[in-house]
Amino acid sequence: MGAKQARKERNLKPKGVLLRPLSVVIRETVKHTIHSPNTVLYPWERLVIADGYRGRPGLVMDRCIQCYICVKICPTRCIELVEIELEGKKLKRPQINLGRCMMCGYCAEYCPKNALIMAPEYELAGYTRQDLIYDPFKLVYEAREGCEVNVIEVKPSELHSGIVGTNVKTGKGIRDTPEVEDKKCIGCSKCEKVCPTNAVEMIQTGVNEKGRPIKRPKFDEEKCVSCEQCLDNCPKDAIKMKEVK
Amino acid sequence: MNGLYEFVQGISVWLMNMVGWIFDWITLHDVANWFRSAGVVQLLTNLLAALVVFIVGFLISITLIWQERKVLGRLMDRRGTQVGVLGLFQNFADGLKTFIKEIIIPTEVDEWVYNAAPVILIGGSALMIGLIPLSDAFALTNLSTGLLLIFAIFSIAPFAILIGGWASNNKYTVMGGMRAAAQLISYEVPLLLSVVSVIILVGSFSIGDIVHFQENNGIWLGIPLFLGLLVFLISAIAEVERIPFDLPEAEAELVEGWMTEYGGMRFGLILLSEYIRGYVACSLLVLLFLGGWSGPSFIWPEIWFIIKVMLVFLIWIFIRGALVRVTTKQILSIGWTKLLPLALVNIGIAVALKMSGVFH
Repeated sequence: MGAKQARKERNLKPKGVLLRPLSVVIRETVKHTIHSPNTVLYPWERLVIADGYRGRPGLVMDRCIQCYICVKICPTRCIELVEIELEGKKLKRPQINLGRCMMCGYCAEYCPKNALIMAPEYELAGYTRQDLIYDPFKLVYEAREGCEVNVIEVKPSELHSGIVGTNVKTGKGIRDTPEVEDKKCIGCSKCEKVCPTNAVEMIQTGVNEKGRPIKRPKFDEEKCVSCEQCLDNCPKDAIKMKEVK
Repeated sequence: MNGLYEFVQGISVWLMNMVGWIFDWITLHDVANWFRSAGVVQLLTNLLAALVVFIVGFLISITLIWQERKVLGRLMDRRGTQVGVLGLFQNFADGLKTFIKEIIIPTEVDEWVYNAAPVILIGGSALMIGLIPLSDAFALTNLSTGLLLIFAIFSIAPFAILIGGWASNNKYTVMGGMRAAAQLISYEVPLLLSVVSVIILVGSFSIGDIVHFQENNGIWLGIPLFLGLLVFLISAIAEVERIPFDLPEAEAELVEGWMTEYGGMRFGLILLSEYIRGYVACSLLVLLFLGGWSGPSFIWPEIWFIIKVMLVFLIWIFIRGALVRVTTKQILSIGWTKLLPLALVNIGIAVALKMSGVFH
């Protein structure tokens, strides 16, 4: 307290109030006049972008499996899957409204096939709002090292055990897996049709009273990306996600 | 009759001859002769000389704004103004911008006074430009009471600020105006007393005489009267209301101070008039204490004068960059307990020098 008071009083003397600030100001002015200022003249000069700079989301057309994970995970709901025609085939690919996008990178982080990446582009201004809605073709960006967002994931059971950084997002055993409830399932095989990775296979488990085969889905954990398409499309809510531990 | 008038008279004689030739051509000989008569030529000469001096003062003021923005920018490791060569045309761009803005008059203001305050301020500032000579040759007048007149006009500005702040009908503007009035009584006395010391030594109110006195004695008056120079420097900053004495504006406390309600071109002109007053105060300091336009003759005296003004202004910019704003209480205390005794001691030194007859 005493030292603080003394410092305060000393600062109020002419040396502290007048001369020291003036000497600092003159020194700084001379220093900054000799070297060029810190300001970057932006439209003419640009800063070098770091490796892995995350600007707008980009799309790698071939990798996308239309699993809808990006649509579900987007916090601002700016992603939509739209139908496009590519080489004669009708496909669904994400369209992003960059006017609403907050560049959080969740879509790229959760994309199981790294089809969505973070492109190092930051000059996104447009003249109309329509310009900011990027259709899949406008969104395409060439995948590079550093653009893909690969998160090292930790299972809940591993959290306190000291194991870190063993699982990557495409690995097996770190995702929730779908599970079928035998009583509710009616064997309609809709889950097989909607699965984007062909991880569902309908297997005959028996024969009913009328002699028709009873089919039940079997999930391939290697192929499954936990997109929950089967769960969403099940007419009887027979599928549930089994939490990973 | 000095160089400026001779130059301008040449132009106006030529112009009137051209006009007279046109009227001769359409056979109106009486009108042509009237245009060529001495009175018309003299009137045109005076107007042109006033115009030239005003434009030069205006350009110097704008250059001071440029200097301030550039140096402050470098101080903060920025680039400062950008438009044109070295950013010299930024202020013209800004002026154009304020010029095309809509004129908004708040409904609750006292309109007549509200409009009159900037006119008084700008008119007074522009009048002072005419009274500042750049050299023997480049001067509009060399009045025998020039110094008195300049300080009289200088003191009108706080009045304009007070009525402008009052008429704006806004608590910030009223407080700014009151602060301008409170400030006036603190700095005006030491300022004038420091000038008195110069007048005692020189024995004349004429600016030309003061500069010639310094030339003849071969010494800047700022050296024997160093205390006076110091007092003048500090109270001139208070006179122009710059940091650290910018109480009427006080951006952090009073929004924009007394000019909160002024917008568009009015604001631009008020800002410009502040820098014109800054230019006048700097040039007074140069004329009274730093030898005016005297200097080695390898460049023109006008250039010497402008260089000195810009150097003094550079010190002001450093002070603006370094110091914090004082309170009303502190400025009164500085004015009456620090500057006034210094100014009185300075007058004593001047009287002693005058009595001893060192200078002639």
